[in-house]
Amino acid sequence: MPRLKAITELFDLRAQLQAARAAEKTVITVCGGTGCQASKSLAVIDEIRAELKRQQLDASVKLRITGCQGFCENGPIMVIDPRNLFYCRIVPEDVKEIISQSVAGTEVIERLLYTDPATGKKIRTEAEIPFYRAQDRVLLSQNRQIDPCAIEDYVAIGGYTALAKVLTEFAPEAVIAEIGASGLRGRGGGGFPTGKKWASCRAAAGDEKYVVCNADEGDPGAYMDRSVLEGNPHAVLEGMAIGAWAIGAEQGYVYVRKEYPLAVAHSRQAITQAREIGLLGANILGSGFNFDVQVARGGGAFICGESTALMASVEGKVGEPRAKDVHTVEDGLWHRPTTLNNVETWANCPSIINNGAHWFASKGTEGSKGTKIFALTGQVRNTGLVEVAMGTPLRRIIFDIGGGAINGRAIKAVQTGGPSGGCLPASLFDLSVDFETLEKAGSMVGSGGMVVMDEKTCMVDVAKYFLAFLLDESCGKCVPCRIGIDRMLEIITDISEGRGRPEQIPLLEELVETVQETSLCALGKTAPNPVISTLRYFRDEYLAHIREKRCPAGVCRELIAYVIDGEKCTGCGVCLRACPYEAIKGAKKEPHIIDALACRKCGICSEGCKFEAITISSGGVPCYSM
Amino acid sequence: MLQYVTLTIDGAKVRAPKGTSVLDAAVHDGICIPHLCHTPDLSDIGACRLCIVEHVRNGTSKITASCTLLVQEGMMIRANSDRARKLRRNVAELLLTEAPNSRAIQDIALRCGVKEARYPFRNNDCVLCGRCVRTCTELYRGNAIGFVGRGKNRHVEYPFGTRPDTCVLCRACITVCPMSIPPCDGPMKRGEERFCGKCESQLQIPQYESGDCVRCDLGRGFSCARHR
Repeated sequence: MPRLKAITELFDLRAQLQAARAAEKTVITVCGGTGCQASKSLAVIDEIRAELKRQQLDASVKLRITGCQGFCENGPIMVIDPRNLFYCRIVPEDVKEIISQSVAGTEVIERLLYTDPATGKKIRTEAEIPFYRAQDRVLLSQNRQIDPCAIEDYVAIGGYTALAKVLTEFAPEAVIAEIGASGLRGRGGGGFPTGKKWASCRAAAGDEKYVVCNADEGDPGAYMDRSVLEGNPHAVLEGMAIGAWAIGAEQGYVYVRKEYPLAVAHSRQAITQAREIGLLGANILGSGFNFDVQVARGGGAFICGESTALMASVEGKVGEPRAKDVHTVEDGLWHRPTTLNNVETWANCPSIINNGAHWFASKGTEGSKGTKIFALTGQVRNTGLVEVAMGTPLRRIIFDIGGGAINGRAIKAVQTGGPSGGCLPASLFDLSVDFETLEKAGSMVGSGGMVVMDEKTCMVDVAKYFLAFLLDESCGKCVPCRIGIDRMLEIITDISEGRGRPEQIPLLEELVETVQETSLCALGKTAPNPVISTLRYFRDEYLAHIREKRCPAGVCRELIAYVIDGEKCTGCGVCLRACPYEAIKGAKKEPHIIDALACRKCGICSEGCKFEAITISSGGVPCYSM
Repeated sequence: MLQYVTLTIDGAKVRAPKGTSVLDAAVHDGICIPHLCHTPDLSDIGACRLCIVEHVRNGTSKITASCTLLVQEGMMIRANSDRARKLRRNVAELLLTEAPNSRAIQDIALRCGVKEARYPFRNNDCVLCGRCVRTCTELYRGNAIGFVGRGKNRHVEYPFGTRPDTCVLCRACITVCPMSIPPCDGPMKRGEERFCGKCESQLQIPQYESGDCVRCDLGRGFSCARHR
């Protein structure tokens, strides 16, 4: 493609591309995001290509491979337009049938349709699916329309209009005012007002400034940044270019972790394409504005998501945080003013410029504007990416969009905000999801992870898991974080293994305060949050572990026992053969018995039992029915 | 020409040149803020968190390390408020239980007001204060040792585990190491660790109060301003 030298050339190109797009008669959209790739979508895609060729449809049917569309639970997913026919959980063997019946023909293959778990009905079109209908998809809907490896797609749907608009109509101060008026707050976890950050970076002294995109997403169960960068890298680049214009930077960095190979590849490719077409580099669209972006690949340390550690890592040093008494907007990358924003924050900027600050501010609550993508995982039916307006109640996200608990168990809690967030009990599910409300409740929006837990989850065990994660991911530089988390983990391990003493709870609470207040960086300062929130809402579980040496959820191995119900057991011998430790004894056709001394509590026996005769009991009390 | 700023530390007006840290300014004017990883002539990394102070700004106070906090005009610092002392005591307790086998750490714990050790003792040889690493890299330009690993695995080591030629065995790293001074009663064995609580400092002042200068002999090794 020729290099664009003026804004009118961009509009001409768009008109051409849109005309070509309108001429596409039948479009097959298949998700090629990491989630669907794990469900073998690449094999499906290869098969579709081969099959289209075989049936000589490759000229008339357009196959578009997109980034993550969010409904990962049902991947690989496929939409056939213009009929908007939605197929899910496709295997390569289905492809032949799909092409001949639904692409060449007009039939619908019932077995591949999505079944609504609430009503049990088959749903034909994408637009009718409750998972999508209950959402407000601003960013994710773009993922659905574009091939991330083709800049043409992004330009065709209106991409880079915002950049052109900014370069011609907006002075840098006006951009900052617009972003400030929209009320956009950082999507990475801190929730700092983006406009304010940009304004202080613009005001900071120094000729050379930088913009950095933080794509070092590491929270367990969160993957919205990956999906946005993989599925829509140009939106991020456009956002960064707008930010660079606003603060006066000429160089940008995208910091991606190496565990996201597809995100690295797509962002690199997007940068190359944007450079070729003249949307990055010197004299962008003939405006005299120079801006270029480089990808900095991280080694995958969780701590490198912290701003100062990230900048040290980009500089080629060990990714360790430093004291932040002077903010990075004044003293950042190479000691120069630097604006660091999350992937989602950058990706939101073009639509704010295009639609105006009022449009963005019309969504959300008083203090939290716009939409936010959440990664809904854990024990819910529809796991995947959910984009809703800020202020949506938790209940709506978990039950209406998430479809409620898997296996019909009761939902006990939801963990929001990753390891630095907190666990909110089911009684608080009417809370609206916005920065202020969640923080008041002892959790946080964070980067947007939501892990749903059912009654089979032990909250002490959850706190233990997150502490172990943070201990592993702490850089180890400062004492409260390195030793403090270790000591918290030690106390919680004592509690979960039945050695807990009542006086350990006040000690834990004092330690929590110390780590929170004295740690060097945000990782340490927020590390005690899982402990604080579980102690606040699930103190009775801690007390049951300590006083009665009982794990109510039947999770903590040291406190539970597997028991065979003599009345239900038919003596079939399945468990006896399955037990790797030979702990189950008994004659054929007679009730079996578990030898408590030999049992290692792996739970393999209960998984195989058809008669539900094996139960977990703790402290002599049955935990739940299996 | 040096530019001076005036700040308030614990109610006292302190005048210090621009660019100095709050800790240096305080110690220079005889206000004792306990510290371990800070040593004169070396850069500050804010690792031990013993020098934490309350920085009062716009009506709220924030706990921050004074070694990495640079002085500013009109700054309000509370180095020995109840809150700072309590947190400092807890940090010192963490250090003490991690590595009790050092007179310096025993003394610091006592000076910070630790009364008992509430966590099980571990007998580690290193508290990762980084004095050795910074002495080697910054003072002697040896770059012979550095931090390796992350989190619990972080430790000080030669590059790739072998002693490089740049290490000339000058022992500068050892002289600055707080773990190189054993407790008064000799090294503690595993299982016999304790908080001894009878360093010289306690003997000199009958009514001990943390934050006060105790003119202990160990102050010499730890750059205490009063010990001249």
